[in-house]
This record gives sequence, structure tokens and C-alpha cells, in this order.
Amino acid sequence: MDEEPERAKRWEGGYERTWEVLKEDESGSLKATVEDILFQAKRKRVFESHGQVRLGMMRHLFVIIDSSRSMEDHDLKPNRLTSTLKLMEYFVEEYFDQNPISQIGIITTKNKRAEKLTDLAGNPKKHTAALKKAVDSTCVGEPSLYNSLNLAMQTLKHMPAHTSKEILVVFSSLTTCDPANIYELIKALNGLKIRVSVIGLSAEVRVCTILTRETGGSYNVILDESHFKELLMLHVKPPPASSSSECSLIRMGFPQHVIASMSDQDAKPSFSMSHLDSAGEPELTLGGYYCPQCRAKYTELPVECKVCGLTLVSAPHLARSFHHLFPLEAFQETPLESYEGERFCEACQGELKDKSVFTCLACKKVFCVECDLFIHDTLHCCPSCMQTDRTS
Amino acid sequence: MIPKLCYFLKLLVFIILNNLILKLKLNIDGLLVYFPYDYIYPEQYSYMLELKRTLDAKGHGVLEMPSGTGKTISLLSLIVAYQKAYPLEVTKLVYCSRTVPEIEKVFNIIYIFITHCIINSYFKIAFQIHFSSVKYLSFLALRFGKEVDGKCHSLTASYIRAQHHSNPSQPVCQFYEEFDAVGRQVPIPPGIYNLDDLKDFGRRKGWCPYFLARYAILHANIVVYSYHYLLDPKIADLVSKELAKKSVVVFDEAHNIDNVCIDSMSVNITRRTLDRCQTNVETLQNTISRIKETDAAKLREEYSRLVEGLKEANVARETDMYLSNPVLPDEILQEAVPGSIRTAEHFVGFMKRFLEYLKARLRIHHVVQESAPQFLKDIYEKVCIDRKPLRFCAERLRSLLRTLEIADIADFSAITLISHFATLVSTYSKGFTIIIEPFEDRTPTIANPVLHFSCMDPSIAIKPVFGRFQSVIITSGTLSPLDIYPRILDFRPVTVASFTMTLARTCLCPLIVGRGNDQVAMTSKFETREDFAVIRNYGNLLLEMSAIVPDGIVAFFTSYIYMENIVASWYEQGILENIQRNKLIFIETQDAAETSMALEKYQEACENGRGAILLSVARGKVSEGIDFVHHYGRAVIMFGVPYVYTQSRILKARLEYLRDQFQIRENDFLTFDAMRHAAQCVGRAIRGKTDYGLMIFADKRYARADKRGKLPRWIQEHLTDGSLNLTIDETVQLGKHFLRQMAQPFRQEDQLGLSLLTLEQLQSEDMLQKIAQIAQQA
Repeated sequence: MDEEPERAKRWEGGYERTWEVLKEDESGSLKATVEDILFQAKRKRVFESHGQVRLGMMRHLFVIIDSSRSMEDHDLKPNRLTSTLKLMEYFVEEYFDQNPISQIGIITTKNKRAEKLTDLAGNPKKHTAALKKAVDSTCVGEPSLYNSLNLAMQTLKHMPAHTSKEILVVFSSLTTCDPANIYELIKALNGLKIRVSVIGLSAEVRVCTILTRETGGSYNVILDESHFKELLMLHVKPPPASSSSECSLIRMGFPQHVIASMSDQDAKPSFSMSHLDSAGEPELTLGGYYCPQCRAKYTELPVECKVCGLTLVSAPHLARSFHHLFPLEAFQETPLESYEGERFCEACQGELKDKSVFTCLACKKVFCVECDLFIHDTLHCCPSCMQTDRTS
Repeated sequence: MIPKLCYFLKLLVFIILNNLILKLKLNIDGLLVYFPYDYIYPEQYSYMLELKRTLDAKGHGVLEMPSGTGKTISLLSLIVAYQKAYPLEVTKLVYCSRTVPEIEKVFNIIYIFITHCIINSYFKIAFQIHFSSVKYLSFLALRFGKEVDGKCHSLTASYIRAQHHSNPSQPVCQFYEEFDAVGRQVPIPPGIYNLDDLKDFGRRKGWCPYFLARYAILHANIVVYSYHYLLDPKIADLVSKELAKKSVVVFDEAHNIDNVCIDSMSVNITRRTLDRCQTNVETLQNTISRIKETDAAKLREEYSRLVEGLKEANVARETDMYLSNPVLPDEILQEAVPGSIRTAEHFVGFMKRFLEYLKARLRIHHVVQESAPQFLKDIYEKVCIDRKPLRFCAERLRSLLRTLEIADIADFSAITLISHFATLVSTYSKGFTIIIEPFEDRTPTIANPVLHFSCMDPSIAIKPVFGRFQSVIITSGTLSPLDIYPRILDFRPVTVASFTMTLARTCLCPLIVGRGNDQVAMTSKFETREDFAVIRNYGNLLLEMSAIVPDGIVAFFTSYIYMENIVASWYEQGILENIQRNKLIFIETQDAAETSMALEKYQEACENGRGAILLSVARGKVSEGIDFVHHYGRAVIMFGVPYVYTQSRILKARLEYLRDQFQIRENDFLTFDAMRHAAQCVGRAIRGKTDYGLMIFADKRYARADKRGKLPRWIQEHLTDGSLNLTIDETVQLGKHFLRQMAQPFRQEDQLGLSLLTLEQLQSEDMLQKIAQIAQQA
């Protein structure tokens, strides 16, 4: 995923006006560019994520992928479908990385129908495999927002109230073919506290605006591929839990990994319980994780026990989602003119050139915009604070 | 002249200024203005500055500001503040708008604006109350405005009331009696009154709301009504004649004001009118002979009154308090009705002759065009009718109807129309033309003779308004080019200015598409409009746009016929089928009910995500009054340049007149007219700063400087050289890019300081400098 998306030949691409990107904004006011506004929004996100909010850590997310005719458009390379599926694979990985005790399911919609690609499950491998397979599918007809939302709702409505129920729609088409009034469905979704977010691939569609506004989700339209990825990554973070959602204690199992050596005569190779729902040939393995309640064997975590329904996780998984709960506090923004002191960024050691600089409230070190974003989005801790901690 | 009145009188408002709960206090050039919002747009400030200048100079103004930037509220708050500061300089604001929804919009703004106000309403509804007093009329269908008028007249006419005194069994309208007895002495409590409020008020007090409103206009601070009350001489005489000279008159949405003026002075006579008129004359004759037997004294009395002359009207005139009526020009009042039509029988005989003459004129087989003097000469030679009695025709008929005590005047519309025509044709020798067409151009085999008595000079109807009121403001979203309005309306404005829209993001994207992907020029030019390639390219453009534009697209064609042709060939080429995969298609037709149905379904399709295309016609109902806010219109496509039908004889005569009288070249006027309609059409999509939309001009002729230069400044500003003469795929790419940009989240904070100002921001130096650039003096 790190490589540049392969570029098509110039003549295959659409009509572009590359010179306009370079245009200087002389008036400085009349044409505040959209990028500027976007940057502000980015900064804002850092602020928004702070403070002690209760997060819905246990997520049940359905991703609806539009596979209608419009997905064959070439504005994302090589086409929208391939690009989306690729990004989805990455998203699924990240998602489980950050939300180890959550589940995901994938629905595709085309030809006025919706079908489940994968059911709600906590195992990334299955989803990635399904996504890989879906690349070859053809895109035909119109999508149906109603049918796909309805399908997702049928499953989600049985989920317990303490979980965060979410639907993420990747919507490429500008039209939807619905069998019934979608506003009724939106009401139903709202009643079930299912949060629907939409990422539009072409333009703002009214019904999506309403859908997301009513259900408390977010609605974004991509500008290009990198923006698409950015928007997808926003959904990796767990959303704040609605205040009305219940709190409850959940039983979890922390199975130990038992490794039996080949030399041990007592050890017999056995099947993992997770083969039950996979179509592939079951494999015999020696070691594995054993459910502390019923002793069922699993080769991978996290998983929900097939026998007793206990959620099995490992401690590092839980620890990984820790930083969501105690995020790094936002740095203070000051304009460059009023800042006095050394003019280089603490992190990258580059010269401070942007309009404003950012100061860590704890260690009073300054950072540039890029490093500020990097620290908050990826590192989740201030590098200079860490250093002082160690030295002291 | 009561008929028509209830057709046109729409809304009147009355405001007393006190208890203002307003948020922003602005200092506009030394005047304290209350503004009801927390924030103000820079262009509103600039607009108010110009307006203030106009009022200070006691002159007229022409101001163009894009729709959705708060014209109405700026106008109201400034003029009201002015009224408050200089109560002797400006006594009244008369706000004229064009359609009922627009008037209601203004009304709502006034509600926001002021807490404490007065009166009034829809006179049709007002009449409803009127009738509840008379049981057998209570279910009269309100649809027939004329009938309502007639019935009302039959209950309130002065002779009916006189009869009532002697004979109490004669029915009269209790509501009117009540009002007449006390209504004029009792002041109306301050407040805002719209239709329903007035109706309620009338019901509570037992007063006729119609007469109450007419009386209350005199005392109101703000009056909101339709253009016709000021411009149409037949109604203006009744409704607006007592408005004080120190009023400020505002014509909003005035880009079509010249047409309104012309319509109010023009008369069309068909064979059917003449036939109905014939029956009217016969009725009159019978009534006269009957009355002669029973009550000859009455006719004698009328005769002697006519000998005395129209003294009363003359007295009123001298005080300069009445609006001069174009149908009654100055000289007519100093003379008595000529002897030849003074007696009732003579007059009826005279009308008969006149009618026969008109019938003979309509019996032709070729088109005749002549001036008023020619017509008069001809009528004198053929049937010996002089100019002078013709001029008194309308007045004489009125007097006769009154004398004969014909209460129900609804049936007499035909003869009234003919008498208006007689008076107009003999009064004005310039600015009018008579065209007699034996058949319509499109159906040359069906004989359907029409006599058009057509006014060519809009300044005739509007002249009394300009002459009488100290300040007249003409304003609209599309008035470009600004210099043409003062010329065709023949007045001298003190301020002529155009304002742009300050935007935090470029929310409008005008594109001129000149070629198809095959490089064939796209144009609706007469020679090429039937060309297969052009039609296909237009189809492709719509198809491509339907794939990238979300929700609603509105497409405008130049005429119904052209639209029908194009849609038919799209169907044959299978383009329609492809379009329907992306969006539903709705079509505007000439039938109003069908169109409103289509419109409703169109909006539903936009709402629920199916997406829709509305095919409509420039100059049609959709292009004039209906807004396509937000998702109802994400793109407007204008197929071709909407030139008016140039073969029409009326238009030709008007063009000739404009050239001779005002030195406006035919081509200039045609282009101006086409461009104002094009601007009106594309302007439907942008109704505010948070709205966004594509504006696609699909004709290569738009790229020429003479067309482009006539677009309003706020559109021209965003029309860069790079967006001229594009091909379809370039348009698609630009459109896609634009729509993605616009779909990014946009909050109010992003606008603050740029296109939305707080008081502090407004007062800063450099902002004031920027504001000075917004207005462009023409």
C-alpha cells in the first residue's frame, strides 16, 4: 500500500488543469482555497479527539461497498472498485489493529440488490481474503442504499446495547434505487442507535447528507486517492459512545498459548474450532489457545468462542486500544511572528516556516505543523516528554 | 373599475415603528440602522450605502445584487431607519414584488424584522367574509374573481345603498355598512397584517376587510403589494392614487418591469371578444329602453351631469395628490363629454358602429400594421367616428353603467375592454401600434383574427410613477447591462450600481460549452438547430452531466417547440434511455397543472436520492418564479441562447420603435433580452452563499464578448478565459472537480471575516476598503 498508485498514461487520464493548482491567491481573502479549509478541519480533529470522552470500544461495523456501474470509473486508478478494495484491505487491518475487540462485516450492493460478502466477525484474514476475491467481480446496475442498509440493520439490531453499532457506506453512485421510502428506514436506524457514515466517491448526494445527519455519522466526499485513504482512516478510531448507551461488564477470556513439542508423546494434533465456518480444508495443529471456559482450541486471537460464546482476547490487544482513552493533549498553536525562540522544530529539526508553531504544554518544546499532526495521529506521545522522562 | 382588482391586489402591510428587537446596530453614513441578524454580508453594507445616497439625493436608483445575499432585508432595514430618522422626508415605503410567493417571502422577512405591526391581504379571501353576510352567496366559488367583484358591487354600489335607505328589504352588505359607519374614524392598531390577519380583524370588528385595506393603505408605513397596483392604470387609479409624494417605491425582481408596463397598456381583441361585446350592447339597449319607460328622469339627470363635465376629477387633479392616470390624460378633464355621445341611445349607437367597424377590420386576409393616427383616420372615413368621442368612451361607459344601475358588472368585461381600447387608441398617437393578424403564424390555415393594440414604450406606463414619487428603486439579481433600463424606461437615476457576491469559496461555476467531443460547434442558431450532430451533442452533454451531477439538474431550452423536437430525436437516438439510467426525466409543459405535478415529483426524486432532470423552457413558469435551492438544482444547463421569437410582428414593431426613439439597436435589445433570461435561468440554482451549483451555457455564442458582457457581474466574475468554449469532456472534468470541492464540509466559521462580518470586523479599515470595491458604478 505504500507504493505510489500506478499512474496511467497521460492520454488515458482525464482532462486536468494542472496550472490551476499552482495559482497564487493574490487577494488572500476572496478565494480561500478549499485545501486551506481542509487543513483547518484536520487540525480541528486533533482538538476534537481530546478530553475524557467515553468511547465505544466494542464496535460492530458493517462496511457497505457500492459495486454499481459507476465503480468502473477511472478517476481513481486503475478504477474505483480496485482502488477501494485495496484501501479496504488496509482499513480492515488497521481497524483490527486499533480495535481488537471489535467486529466487522462487509456488504456489497449492485444491480438494485445487496449481498453479504462476509458476516460480522473478528478475524481480519477472512475479510481480506474476501476483499481480494471481490476485485474480479463485475460492476453492474445501480446500487440500493435501502436494501443494503436494511441488510446491515437486520444483523446489527440483535447486537447488545453496550456495543457501538456502526455502518460505513462507500458510495460511488449518485443515485440509489430503493424499493421503499428510505426516510422510514433512516428513522428506524436512528431508533436502533445505529450510526451511519458515508464516504462519497463522486459528489454530495442529498439523501446521504440526511442519512448521516439523522443518525449522527459523518459524511465526506473524497478529493483524490490520498484524501480517500485519510477519510477511511478516520473511521479506524472508535467513535465517542452516545451517552444513552448502556454500560455493562463483559466476560472475556484470556487464553494462554500452549505449545506442545513434537517430542511430547501425549500431544495429539487437533483441529482449531475456527475451521467450522471456513470453507477451506481444516488443518491439524499441535499447539493453540484454549478457551478457559470450555477448552475449545483456537489458533488465532481475537475470536469469539464457537462453543460457549466467550470473547477471547490477549492482553496486548487491550493495551493497544489504550491510547484512545488517554490521548495526547493538543499542542498550543501560536503564530510564527509572535513566537520567540529557536526557529527549528524539536522533532524533525527543520526550520519553522509555516504560519504557526505548536508548543507542547508539558515540556514547552515547539513543533512544526507536520510533526504536530504526526505526533497526534501516529505516535500518540510527545517525543521530547518521553526523553525528559527517561533522563530524570 | 372594480373588476380585476381582486385579481391583482395581493398583499398589503402596515408597520408602525416601535419595539425593535434587533441585534446589529450599524452606522451607515451617519444613519443608525438596525439590522436583525448577528452578522452582515459585506455587500449588504455596500448596498445600504448606495441606497442611502439615493434617498439623500431624492432620486431614483437602479441596483443589481445577486439573489440570496439579502437584498430585501437590507432594503427594509435601511428605508425603515431612514423613515425613523427623517420622518418628514420619507413617509412611506411601497414595496412592489412580482408574484405571490415573492410577496409572501418579503412578508416573512418583515416578520423577522419587526415585532409590532399592522394589516392585510388577499382580496379574494377578503371577499369571502364579505359574502358570509348574504347567505345565498356564501358558497360562491372564489375562483371567479370577476364574479365576486360583480356580486360585491351589487351590494355596495352607492345607488343600492341609497335604495336601501328607502327600502330596507333591499339587501346590502352588512360588513361594508359597518365599516362605512365607524371604520374610518377608528384607528387600526399598529402591527403587521397579512391576508389572514386582516380577515380576522375584519371578522372581529364586522368590517369589510377589502375596504378597510384600501383605507388603511393611506396610513401604513410599509405597503407590500404587486406591481400592477402601481403600473396598471386601471387599478392604480383605485388603489394607489392617494399615496403620498414622499413615499419610496421599490420594485423588486424588476428585470421584467418593461414587459409588465407594456402588458398593462396593451389590448388584444379577438372575434370572440367582439361577439360578447355585441351581446353586451344589446343588453344595454334593452335596459335603456326599459328604463326610458319607467324612469326617464334618471337618464335626463345623467345627461345634465355630463354637460357639466367631469369637474370632480378636475379638482382632485389640481392638488397634485392623485396619481395621474394615463387613460385619463390632462386635457380630457377640462372638457365635457362631447354632444354626440351624451344621450344614452346615441352612445349605444356609437358603440354599435364602432363594433361593426372593428368586425369589418378583423375580416381581412392579410396582416395589417398601422399606427394610431392611421387607424383614427380610417375609422373617420369609414364610419365617421371622430377622435374626440372615442376618447371619452371608457368614461362614458362607466357613467352609463352607473346610471342604468346594472349591479352585476361581471358580464360587461367585453364592452369595457373595447371602450378601453377606444380611449387608448385615440389618446396616444405615439408609442403604440395596431397589428391585425388574420391567423397565427404557426397555423396559417385556421382563421383566428386578432387585433393587437400593442404598447411599445414601457415608459408610458411607468412615467407617472417616476414623476410622482421622490425615490423609485429598481432592483433585482439580474439587471445587467445596467444602462439599458434607464434608457427603455426613460428616467434619470442618481445611482446605478451592481454588487458582487463576496464568497468564502467559489460556489458558482459558470462554464461555456461550445463544442462536442467531435469538435462540432454546439449552438441553437437557427440554421444549425436541426442539425443532427448538434442535437446529438446536446444529448451527450446532458447524458454526461447526468452521470456526474448529484440529485437535481435543470435544463432550459429556448422554446417549447425546440424542446419537443430535441427530446423526440433524443428518444430516437436512444439518448433518453441512457439518461434514464442515471436520473429520472421530467418535462415542463404549457399546462400549469401538469407542470406543477412534474415539479413536485422532480423534487421528490431529488429528495430521496434517485436524482432527476427537469427539462423546461426559458421564459416559462419554471424559469421565472421557482427556486432550485441546494440539491434541487446542482446544475443548470442552458441549451442555446433564449432569443425571443423574432418573427413576431409585435416584437418587430417594438424593435423599430426602440431604434427610432431611444437609439437602441435591434440586435442590442435582442441580446439584452436573451441574456437577462439566460441569467435568470441559471440564477435559479444559486440562492445563497451556502448553496452551490454548476452553470452550463451550452452554446458557443455565449463566449462572444457581446453576450458575455451582458451577464450580471457576479456571474461574469467567475467566468475565466479558461472556461470558455469547452468541449463536453473538459466540462465533465471541471464539473467533477468542482462538485468534489464543494462537497467538502463548509461551516459558518469559514465564512466569518470574509463573506460574513460581525460589527467589529465591519468597522476595520481594510474591510471598509474592500467593501468599497464591491459596488461597481455603471
